[in-house]
Amino acid sequence: MRLSVVAAISHGRMYRPLGLGPRSRLDLLRNLVTALVRHERIEAPWARADEMRGYAERLIEYAKLGDTNERAMRMANFWLTEKDLIHKLFKVLAPRFQPHPGSYTRLLQIPNRDSLDRAKMAVIELKGNPYPPLIRPQRNTEKTLLNQLLKGYREDMQRAATPEAPKGTLV
Amino acid sequence: MRNELFNKEKERQLSLYPRIEKIEVKYTGKSHPGTVFVMNKALSTPYNCAMHLSEWHCKKSVLALVDGEVWDMYKPLTKSCEIQFLTFKDEDPEEVNKAYWRSCAMIMACVLKRAFKDEYSVNLIKSPEVPVISGAFCYDVILDNRLNDWTPTNVSTITSCLESCRACILVQWFFFNEGEGSVSFFLFVGYKMEMIERKASQNAEGIVTLHRFGDFVDVSEGPHIPRTSFCFQYEITAAHNLQTKQSELIRRFQGVSLPVHLKAYHIVWDKLLERSKRLVSFSGEVQLTKYKDML
Repeated sequence: MRLSVVAAISHGRMYRPLGLGPRSRLDLLRNLVTALVRHERIEAPWARADEMRGYAERLIEYAKLGDTNERAMRMANFWLTEKDLIHKLFKVLAPRFQPHPGSYTRLLQIPNRDSLDRAKMAVIELKGNPYPPLIRPQRNTEKTLLNQLLKGYREDMQRAATPEAPKGTLV
Repeated sequence: MRNELFNKEKERQLSLYPRIEKIEVKYTGKSHPGTVFVMNKALSTPYNCAMHLSEWHCKKSVLALVDGEVWDMYKPLTKSCEIQFLTFKDEDPEEVNKAYWRSCAMIMACVLKRAFKDEYSVNLIKSPEVPVISGAFCYDVILDNRLNDWTPTNVSTITSCLESCRACILVQWFFFNEGEGSVSFFLFVGYKMEMIERKASQNAEGIVTLHRFGDFVDVSEGPHIPRTSFCFQYEITAAHNLQTKQSELIRRFQGVSLPVHLKAYHIVWDKLLERSKRLVSFSGEVQLTKYKDML
């Protein structure tokens, strides 16, 4: 039996094997979730950010249940290693995302890391954060002088190119 | 001669404010919203406000939006107001484009005045407000009778006269139009006179704004760009004879220009030149029969 091929196929695996083992993977993701709740915008390797995204959104959904809820408090207690962030989660983030039904985070890919590993990096942020937006909307330059002149030129060319509508021959 | 009158009037208006009074100008633009400048009344201009902000503001701003009204950069501020700067690359640079087209037409008028020898008279009639998309700015001129048969073989030679008037400031000034007397000193005739009267009646205090470019003084519909160094590529491309009922031959000189901020590659520029040689005609031609009394 060719063990190498069997080992390479990963049909149906819902989790990436990050870190040293399952416990290490959870610790890694926990650190990332804590950092996200603290800073609201972090840079991380794309695989880790992608993996963490689901956990972060579920955590916020738990937080929406309210801090009186025992399960929500236990989840927040496990996932947030810095205990002052539990207050922030229930008092700041949960009300902020109360009107939204889902998708509280945004994941955008950024250029590969500068070090030797050239890892695929991403930035993950909570929506509604106070920083300037990551994606700047493009300015509409249609009305500038040069573009208007060129537009007039293009229309003239089109009018010259399309032949005059031939006088219909009535049958 | 007009220049001396302009200077005299400028000094007179300066002397109206012997003591310097301060006004507060609030900046409501995007870069530093809410800054308040303390400027001098009737002395400091939007350009001075831009100088307080940064060099980029000075170089890029073409017009100023003072209390919602479009102002020249070198027009003195008279009262406390809110100010914003308009550039060529805004979301809606329509006013800026119009002002640029107007300025280029005025530069062309100045060049035409200088291009011909002194013995030939050049009567400038008007500069029609052409939209930018038509491809050229134009100026209607009546040349001397002796030049009726003259057709310009190479219009671009006129552009070379431009070099002598380079890099002047298009200063402008208010002008009180108290009755007919004061303005007629400037010897505006025909359409220009009409335009001055119309503008004076529209304005609450009867003020008409004149613009000066080196030695050349002119009146026009609206604000202008601050300095002629804003024009990077400039060509006078064509001279057409307008067909009118009048006996005099009215010629329309056309040209194309682009500012320093929006330079075009030479191939694109050549195509725009070609297009601008065609006669620009538009609906709403002013009745030219009124010019009979001018000639």
